[in-house]
Formats: sequence, C-alpha cells, structure tokens
Amino acid sequence: MEIQSDLKVTIRVNGVAVSAPVQAADSLLDFLRNQARATDVKCGCNQGDCGTCTVIYDGKAIKSCLVLAAQADGKEVRSLKGLMDDPLMQSLQNAFLECGAVQCGFCTPGMLMASWSLLQDNPNPTREEMRQGISGNLCRCTGYKKILDAISLAAAQLLTEHAAAGHQAGQALGRSITPGRESYQASDRLDGQARAKAEYLLLGGG
Amino acid sequence: MSITIGKGIPKVDAQHKVRGDTIYADDYSVPGMLYGKVLRSRYPAARILALRTARAEHLEGVVAVITAKDVPHNELTARFGQSTSVGVQFEGIYRVLADQEVRYFGEPIALVAAETPELAEQACQMIEVEYQPLEGIFDPVTAMEQGVRQVAEKSHNIASHFKIRKGNVEEAFAHADVIVEGTYQVPYQDHAYLEPESGVAWVDEDGTINIRVSSQVIEHFREVAEVLDLPHSRVRYLGTWIGGGFGGKEDITVESFLALLAWKTRRPVKLTYTRTESLLTHSKRHPFFMEYKTGATKDGRITAVQARLISDAGSYSALSPWVLLYATVNAAGPYHVDNIWVDSYAVMTNTPVTSAFRGFGAPQVNFAYESQIDRLSRCLGIDPLELRRRNFLRQGNSLDTGWIYDRPVAICEAAEKAWNALGPKVTSPNPRVAIGHGLGAGMCSYGRLTFLHDTSRSYINLELDGSAVIRCGVPDVGGGQGHILCQIAAEELGLPIESIKLFITDSQLTPLAGTTTATRQLYMSGNATLKAARVLRKRMLEKASQMLCVPVENLQVQAGKILSTSQPEKSVDLVPLVNRMSTEGIELFVEAQFNAPFTSIPASEMIEGQIHPDYTFGAYAVEVEVNRETGALRVPRIVACFDVGKALNPVIVEGQIEGGGIQGFGYALTEDMKIEKGIIQTPSFAEYLIPTAVDVPDLETILLESGTGLGPYGAKGIGEPPMVSIAPALTNAIFDAVGVRITSLPATPEKILMGMLAQEEGSE
Amino acid sequence: MQHYSFYKPRGLIEALQVLSEYGGRARIAAGCSNLLPDLKARHLQDCLLVDISELEGLRGIQAEGNWATVGSLTTIAELAGSPLLREGAPLLWQACQSFGDPLVRNRATLGGNLGHASPAADTAPPLLAMETSVLAESLSGGRREFPIAELFAGPGRINLRPGELILSLRFPLFERKKVAFVKFGLRNAMAISLASAALSLRMEDGLMQDVKLAYGSLAATPFRAFRTEECLTGMPCNEETLVRASTEAQGEVRPITDIRASSSYRRLLAGALLRQAARAALS
Repeated sequence: MEIQSDLKVTIRVNGVAVSAPVQAADSLLDFLRNQARATDVKCGCNQGDCGTCTVIYDGKAIKSCLVLAAQADGKEVRSLKGLMDDPLMQSLQNAFLECGAVQCGFCTPGMLMASWSLLQDNPNPTREEMRQGISGNLCRCTGYKKILDAISLAAAQLLTEHAAAGHQAGQALGRSITPGRESYQASDRLDGQARAKAEYLLLGGG
Repeated sequence: MSITIGKGIPKVDAQHKVRGDTIYADDYSVPGMLYGKVLRSRYPAARILALRTARAEHLEGVVAVITAKDVPHNELTARFGQSTSVGVQFEGIYRVLADQEVRYFGEPIALVAAETPELAEQACQMIEVEYQPLEGIFDPVTAMEQGVRQVAEKSHNIASHFKIRKGNVEEAFAHADVIVEGTYQVPYQDHAYLEPESGVAWVDEDGTINIRVSSQVIEHFREVAEVLDLPHSRVRYLGTWIGGGFGGKEDITVESFLALLAWKTRRPVKLTYTRTESLLTHSKRHPFFMEYKTGATKDGRITAVQARLISDAGSYSALSPWVLLYATVNAAGPYHVDNIWVDSYAVMTNTPVTSAFRGFGAPQVNFAYESQIDRLSRCLGIDPLELRRRNFLRQGNSLDTGWIYDRPVAICEAAEKAWNALGPKVTSPNPRVAIGHGLGAGMCSYGRLTFLHDTSRSYINLELDGSAVIRCGVPDVGGGQGHILCQIAAEELGLPIESIKLFITDSQLTPLAGTTTATRQLYMSGNATLKAARVLRKRMLEKASQMLCVPVENLQVQAGKILSTSQPEKSVDLVPLVNRMSTEGIELFVEAQFNAPFTSIPASEMIEGQIHPDYTFGAYAVEVEVNRETGALRVPRIVACFDVGKALNPVIVEGQIEGGGIQGFGYALTEDMKIEKGIIQTPSFAEYLIPTAVDVPDLETILLESGTGLGPYGAKGIGEPPMVSIAPALTNAIFDAVGVRITSLPATPEKILMGMLAQEEGSE
Repeated sequence: MQHYSFYKPRGLIEALQVLSEYGGRARIAAGCSNLLPDLKARHLQDCLLVDISELEGLRGIQAEGNWATVGSLTTIAELAGSPLLREGAPLLWQACQSFGDPLVRNRATLGGNLGHASPAADTAPPLLAMETSVLAESLSGGRREFPIAELFAGPGRINLRPGELILSLRFPLFERKKVAFVKFGLRNAMAISLASAALSLRMEDGLMQDVKLAYGSLAATPFRAFRTEECLTGMPCNEETLVRASTEAQGEVRPITDIRASSSYRRLLAGALLRQAARAALS
C-alpha cells in the first residue's frame, strides 16, 4: 500500500497534460493556478462558497476548490481558456459584452463556465432556471440582471440558429433595437425581445 | 448626432475580462517570488509583553520576519490621499504593525516572507507573542462615557464630533402639531468583493519599490514611502484592474507589508489575504446608532429635525471622521427643513477598523430619516409620496448646513416615477402572504469634500496613425472608470474607440487622477479628459480650418475626419491632419487638470456652508411579500429612478444602479455580520450572506437626465447613490405589509416574525 | 503544521483495509464538499485522505420491485435528475432540488452528506421519513444493515463502527404517498437550512394515516417527530389539526441558538414548516 504525502499527478488542462508534484491536501484550484498557470480560474474564497473557481471537470461544472488535486490525476479539466473555440462559449462571451454583464470581471470566468454548462444541459431555460443555473456563482457588482440578460441572449441565438431553416425572420423581429441599449424585462420564457435581438444580431446588426 | 455619448458601448476592458486575459493582482507572478503572510492578534485588546521571532526566522525557507521595530516609520498621521493637512479633527494614526498593544482582533503584529505560502503560514505559527489581555471596549455608546478606558491615542474615545445648528429646533418642536421619535441601528457591512486583497511587490534595478496592487488609491505611494523613510519618488504603485472595491480597497491594505518585505528581502513578494482573513480583519462599514426626532405640522410640513448620531469608529479612526461628516451633512435628507439640530460622534472601540464603504455615511442616516418620514406619513394619514412631495428639496432651498442648493432638483420626479411604476398594490390570493409597497428617497454626494481642494489630471496624445493614447491614474473598480475616458476622447476627437489605448494607474507614468472613491472619477478625471480632449480638438479644428479654408464654426468632427457642415465634400481625414500638425510642430498632446470647487476647512465641529460639489437624487419603490407564518421575505419588484444628469453610457449607468441596489438589498435583508466581544462570528461567505441570483428580482431602472450635473456633458455621479434609499424602501414595505417597524438592519425573517407576534400579543 | 497523506484504494476491500488500519486517522474523500473547506481551515488533525470517489459498485440507483438501492457515491445531481426518483421517491427528490447549488450538487454525494453528520443535512429528513436502511461494511464487522435513525449520534458524530463505510441506502419506491420537503434558509441557494421538514402521509376516508415527519436543523441530529406524527394520525387535515400539531412539534424539537437564528424562532419554524409541508403535500 502506497501512502503518499507528496504525489505527482498529471491532469489534462484545456487539452494539455500538466504534470506536477502536489501535496495531499492541495485542491484542484491550487493546481490549476499554481502548477498549470491557469489564472483564468479565480480564487474568491477557497471554501466552496463563491463559484469563481468554476471549471468543467470530468464533464461537469464544479467548484475546483472542492476537488483534491490528487483525485484529479488523469482527468480532464476545462477552464474558460479551453472553450475559446466553442461556439456556445463565444456566443455567451459576446452576449456578456453586449448586455453589459461585465463590471469588475472577477466573477466572469466562473459565471461564463456555469452559464455554458447550464445551456449545454438546458438550451431553452426559463429565466428562473437561468437564475438557478448561476445560483452557485456570487457577483457583487451587477445585481445579476445583465448576466441573466446575456444568458437569455445567448440562448435565443442558440435557438434561432437551430431553427434558422424554417423560421420566419420577419415574425421574430419586434421593436427596433438600439445595440446594447436593450433592457430585458423579467420574463418566464425567452421573450420576443430576446429573440428579436438575436435575430437582429444574426442578420448582421449591432 | 453623438459618436459615443449616450450609447451602451461595451467597455474597453470587458473583452479581456470575458476571455479570462485580465491579470488581476493575484494572477501575477515573478521569478524568485516569495510569499508573504501576516501574523495577526488573537485578542481584541491586549498589551504585547513579548514578541519572539527567532524560531520562525530559523525555519528553512523563511527569508524574512518583520515586526514593528524593523519598520522605519511604524506610525504616521493618517491623512487621506492629501498632501496638506486639513486639521486635527480629521486625523488619526496609521500604524503599520502593532507594537506595545493590540486594539482589535486580527491586528497585524508581524510579517513573514517565505519560499511557499505554507512555510509562511507555518512561520507565523512559530512566532511567539505574549499577550496581556485587557478589558475590551465593544460598545460605542458606553465607550463615550467618562472614566472608560481609552482605546486609542486621543484623550477620549470620541474620535470626532460634528454639529449642525440650523434655525431654532426648540421653538419649532414647541409649535409642532406632531412629533415622531425613533431610534435606529444599522450594522457592519462587509464589501465582499469577490477578489480578496492582493498584490506583488519588488525592488527594481534602480532601487524603486514597485507595488502591483489592487487598490482604489494609488496616491498611497506617499505614505508607503514615508513608512520606509524613502523619498516619494522611490515608491511606485502599479494599479491593477480591481476585482471589486466599494471602498474596501481605499485604505492601505497589503501595500506597506509588501513594500517592507520586498525591501528587506530584495526579492519579489506576493501577499494575498484569505477570505477568512479579509472577513475577519479588513475594514467595514460603520455601524450607526441614531436617535431621531421629527416635528411637523398637521398637513405634513416638516418643521424640525433633531438627530443624535453615534458611529462605531473601530480601533483606528481611518476614514471615520469623514464618514461621520458625510452622515452629519446628509442627516435630514433631500428635504427642505428650516430647523435642524445634529450632534454626531465617532467613537473608538476594540473592534475591526471601520472605514469607507459605498455611500460613506449617507445610507446609514437615510435609513433613519426615511423611516421617520414613513412613521410621519402613517401618523398623519398622508400618502407616503404626497408627504414627501410637500417637503422635498427644491432649487434654491438650503441644505442642513445652510448651503443654498441652487441647481435643479429632480427628487420629486424620481420618487413619483418610481412609485407610479410600481403600480397599485394588490392583495395576495394566499392569505398567508401579505403584500406591501415601500418608498425610499435619498441624496448622495458626488465629488470629494470641497475643502480637500480636489484635482484630477489626464493626458491625451494623438498618434501619427490616427490612433490615440490616454494616460490617466484612474483606478478602475469595474464601473467603467477607465472606459468612460475613452468614450469622451472618442467623442471629442472623432476617433473610433478601438483606436484608443488607455493606460491607467501607474503612479509614476500616468498623471495622478485622484482616488476612485466618493463617486468622483467621472466628475473629475472625466472632466480632465474632456478638457484635454477639447484643447486637442480646438487645435485640430484650427488646422483643418486652415487646410480647408472653412471657418472653424462651420466644421464638425465625425468618425475619422473633419468636414464642413454645409459642404461635406470639403473634408480632411484624421491621419493627414495629424501628420500635418506634427510636421508644423503643433503639440499633439495635452495634459489637463480639472479642479473641483475649493472651500475652506471647517474651523470647528460646527459644519456650515458648502461641503460637497453636488448631489445625486434618486428613489426606490419596492414590492415585498411577507410570509406571515415564517416572516420570510420575497421581493418581486424593485424600481429605481435616479437623475443621473446625463447617461454617457446607459448600460454602465444601469449596471451601477442594479448592482448598488442589490448591494443595498443585502445590507437591508441578508448581510448579518454578527460580532461578539470584538470578534466577528461570520467569517465566511457561508455565514455572511450576500444575495445570489435566486434571491433577487430584476431591478427595474428609470433614468432621468436633467443635464444639470457637473460632470462631462452634464453628467452626475452614480457609483454610490444607488446604495442609498433601498434599505428604508424595503423596511417601509414590510411595515406596509404587516405593520412591523424594523428599526435595526438587517430585516431578518426572525425579526419580522417576532415583530408580528409582539403585535398580536400587544393587541390581546 | 498538519501533515496529510493521500491514498486511492483500488477496490472496496482495499478501502476497508485502509480504513480499518487507520481508524480515526483516516478521512473519506469523495465529493470533498465538506472535507476540503475543513482541510483549508486547518480543522483536521494529521490524517490520511482516502479517495473512494471512483470505487466500483457504489454509484447509481438500482430499482428492484418496490425498493430502491442508491449507492453512497451517487451525487446529489444524479438524484435530482433521476426520473425514477421523481416518480418513485419524490420526498428525497425534492430535497435534492434545493440542495446547495448546481455546482456543489455535481460533486456532493449522498454518503458524504449523511456521513458528515450535520444536523442540517438536507437528505437526512426525507430518508428518515422514508424509513431508509443503511448498508455498511467494515473489515472486522462485515456487512450490516440498520435503520437510518441509528446513524446519527450528534452534531458531526456518526454511528459507524471503526473502519466502517456506508455502501448504500435502501428505501421503498412508489409508495404513492402525499409528500413534501420544505427547507428554510436565510438565502435561496447556498444556504444551510435553518430548519427543514420532510412529511409523508396517506389520506384514507378524509383522515391522515401513515404519517411520517422528520425534521432537520432542529435538534442535535435529524430526527423523526413521533409525538407530532401521532397528533396528526387519524385526524382530518384542517387548520385545527395543524395548529394542534404545530404546538406539539414546537415542544418536540430541541433547537439551539446560533449565529443564524435563535432557538425560539426555530421552534416557531418547526410549526410553520409542518403546516407548509402539509399544505404542499395535499395540494
């Protein structure tokens, strides 16, 4: 039986194998920031209470401060940097920009990861489901509204892209839109505004 | 037709933030870097009898241990980003490391630099401190009494005292038809920025200490230099994009420690606080204990306001005198009252340092005066909006200091719009849920105290390829403080915003723009940038006029060119224009300074006249649902209406209101910082609860643009104002729903339910 | 300075061997939702972290007739997303919906939530009300099955034998009872329950029968409120019954005062949550 205090692990971070020594009590977050130099993964509390360390681990969105580095040996981790070519992530990033969802930006990587995971599992969430999806990610700057607007926008784009074939563009375009000025009202389902905005942007507006 | 002003353009820093590219303070590492750790006091009040560091120093991997005796100037007079003194009543001491005594739990005693964070922590545990615990003073009200042990260096525990004396309150009360009295208490609040305090420091090749730090005030390089007994020019602050400030990164946090460790070891050092450390020991919002007495006529005209305010100034005064001053000046709120009497006290106790936090005294008194207004409206049977209408400040009225506010006041419109947007109150179909509506109105200054003679500088340089560089010392806490300067320059110079490169927060390479505090950056560095841009613009127009043979007044600046209004084909592109100017030796750069109004330092505790440059007025109307069985609160709607003067970027402005409103929501409802005998009992985000996405509604914002602000294009400041008046809107709504008057925040379900039960018992 | 070591057993037998050998000096690492914060806060003495997160056969929901066996490594997210559980064991399913937050649910395990033995563990009241049995195994004692009520000894104290590991939980499926789980926290996500209630019952001829009521965060351990159950049994579900039962419940709970709430408030919540659960179950 091999009891180890100092171990060596190899973890695939954004497609690249990173091998490094770790201590038994190191977290995956410690490894990501210190050994893998993945500083896009933030450390807001190191206690599982804030979500700034959110990554995709073994296919699921989790808080990396709540995984032992040793447990992650041989596993795959994706952070924001590992999803830069992913169309859904790009859509989310653009939506965050459009909607003004980034203030200080410290919660943003984790928030994007949680939003991405939400839309992967549930491409057409209600506003309440969106709130639930990011309920493990604290934000102190925005009050969450513009983040939800951004998720809404990205989801609408996703839907519009999927339905592009048989969709009547004219129906979806509601009121005229000033880029970046749209204020999204609380709504249960993706509302006409969000769809319209998505249409507008898809058609080259903005 | 504006190019950028009034448009919700994404911030220049946002694209890097969504890519994860922004290098925040803790993301930065340097080869050979050591890790710093602070050893902190285990007692809220104690003498330090002995301090033994030998064992820690000899631990392999520990490179330096520093205590007070190693610090060249361990104590400075605390001024605040000021080069000149503004008088003893605003001063306290800034002590780097505890020496003979500790005054608060967690006070820094020693510093360690080691090869790994674990070693640094281990070394801290090996430092032996012999404490002689003292009786702690924890309550500001009793601390004011005679004969109580002195917490601080002043001769008594009252660190500051201010007075307002306007009119004759005694006479006014004697003739009042109704008098309403109330006592209110507001608690600590933690900034809870997601980025903990952090920085990296190193000594460069010419012996300058470089501190790369998340800080709202890069002017602190002066104090850090003094701590190390170095000329000011030997300390350089490189500010980072800050992961949330809210006033918590306004005082020196890690910088002196970093400078000392880097200086001693001659190696780079990183110091990042843990969240626990931050929650337990870093500065907090001032708790206030407030006694109010309001007198009015039977038709609701407020004739007298008397207030006694006591703030808990913590164990070092820091910004306590300033916060107290703000609270004092705001004590009667945005109302025209002829007779006002205020006595305010900031009192030292053996508790964590209390200092700047968004609102800076205004939210605290606002909770009191808006609760008083609500009580008055109930007492007189006058609608809450109507009662306020009868008393709202109007242009030409005087504030409580006697200063005539001679600018338009949109508070009435704001309150009306917010209240009307809420619509009529409906009864819940569920008998166990009570619905209530509440209104809160307030005022909040923007710009620093005018007797501080505030200034800000900004520099713009046109490049030969038609791009531009802005250099400005403005720290950016996420509110677009840096970005907005790019919008202003783009507007004035007809440049696409993508072609503007912004450099911020280098205390040696960017003109000093002053603190990112007091809702002052748009006003100050915005105006400085506008000033610089307009000088450049004038030079460009003059040269273009010559080149096109068109008078300057017939020219307009558009994206990338200058053209004649009447004959648009007569135009010159930016690049040839700039190159021509360069060839002719015309300066393509401007550094401009903007000065706020200068007034005199208050001569005594009596506060009179102008104190701030200007105020932002706004209101919240909220709908709440109270569960009668549990006291639990659900807030389905929050409507905010603020006069922002001019929304240079409406998306950013809305973001400030939405974020500030929710931060105020937390202050009012969920952020319960429990403290016992000077030790905070809620040192994690699992215990100190800030709102999550499932706790809050979508905040609805209505923007008023009166154009009467002192900022660029008539803008007013909006950073702090949204923190004001949401709390009383919520507690007034609770009263409306179930008749329970919450007089101490937060309004927890327990307080609400116990309040309901007390009523039931009372009525039996 | 604490010293920790790490070991990942290759199978159940090895895991049990390690746990047996190290006893109190071993800590189970599965979802680590509680373990890692404790490690970082230096709350744990020197110990061996035993990573069981990938042990075969301890994850998943098996249905056999009208019984479900849930492996202790099954995550809360897996439980919350299970259609079988939603239809067959809705009380547990409801508790999993509001557990923590979605990120924590992806890692937290059923065994971990129970094993941490917090009086506020959200899966405990439903499992108690469902009269779940626990299957555990140790090297010395072999396998044993026991009612879940015997699991909780006190705050943070679990009744397991030295070296014993929880393998699975077994409870009835498709009981077709009226159920509701109600949780009260100071925030709507990432909130430790101030109080929680799990209620199941049948309506027969307009009277409540087979009433099971379990509370969380209202005593030193999660527990079945037997006296309150009796008070409800054979009674119609009307305001009068609920008021009487609430009073009984308030007397039966043993809440504490802590930073989150006072004991008197928690006592009031006991009654309020019962009434809310009853209304929700019967709606």
